[in-house]
Amino acid sequence: MVIGFAIVAAWELVTAIGVVAFRRPMYNALSLVANMLGLAVLFLMLNAQFLFAAQIIVYAGAVMVLFVFIIALMNPQADISFRPRGTEWIYGVVFGVIFAALLGTLLFNHGLTGRLGAFTPEVIAAAGNVQTIGIALYTRFLFPVEVTSVLLLVAAVGAVYLAMRRIR
Amino acid sequence: MPVPAYTFLLLSGAVFTLGAIGFMVRRNPLVVFMCIELMLNAVNLAFATMSRYLNSLDGVVFAFLVITVAAAEVVVGIAIIVQVYRAGRQMDVDELDLMKE
Repeated sequence: MVIGFAIVAAWELVTAIGVVAFRRPMYNALSLVANMLGLAVLFLMLNAQFLFAAQIIVYAGAVMVLFVFIIALMNPQADISFRPRGTEWIYGVVFGVIFAALLGTLLFNHGLTGRLGAFTPEVIAAAGNVQTIGIALYTRFLFPVEVTSVLLLVAAVGAVYLAMRRIR
Repeated sequence: MPVPAYTFLLLSGAVFTLGAIGFMVRRNPLVVFMCIELMLNAVNLAFATMSRYLNSLDGVVFAFLVITVAAAEVVVGIAIIVQVYRAGRQMDVDELDLMKE
C-alpha cells in the first residue's frame, strides 16, 4: 500500500509538472490525461470506487477528449512563439512557494480533526459503494444534485449559443 | 500498514500549488484551462481523502459535484476560446483585451 502510494504520488507530481512545463499544448494535454488516470488510482486507494469510475469516464474520457480535439483542430502555437516575456514567471514561482508553505504549516500545526461518521469501509462494503453514494445523492444531497443538473443544462445552452453566434 | 491521511493531503496541496503556478505563468488560454483542471483535481483528492478518513460520504458526493461543475465549465470555456480563436485574435492571455473596448 505504502509503496503503491509512493509510486502513484511520484507519478502525480511528475505529470503535474509536465502540465505546467511542456511548451507544446498537446504535450500538456497528454500529461493532464496521465495525471487524471493517476488520480483515479488514488481514488481507488481511498475506497472511492464510484469516484474512480466518474473520474475515468468524465475527466479522462470526455473532458480531455474535448481538449485534445480542440488542440488538434486549432493547432495553437507553442508558447515559444509568443514574444519573450519579462520576469513575471518569477512572481508565479514565489507565489507557489509561499502558498505551499502556508498549506504545509496549516496542515501540520492544526492536525486533522473531525467527528467520525457512520460510513466505515465495512458498512459501505456491506451495502455496496455505488448504492450508498446513490442513496446519499438522492436523499440528503437532492438539492445540490438538482442545482448541478440545471447548471449542466445552462452550460449546454450557452455552448450552443456561443457556437452559433455570428462573428463580426 | 495504511497510508496516513496527511500524505494524501500533502500530495493534494503540491498538485494544487503546481496548478496555481501554471495558471499564473502560462499564457496559452488552453493551457491555463488545463491548470484550472489540475487544481480542481487536487481539491477532489482532498475531498476523497477526508471522506475516507472521517468515515463520511459527504466528501465523495461533493467531489462528484465538483467533477460535474468542472465538465460544465470546460464546455463553456472552450466554446469561448474557440470563438476568440475564430475572431483571429492572438492566443495569448496577456494580449486578450476584448472586454476593454
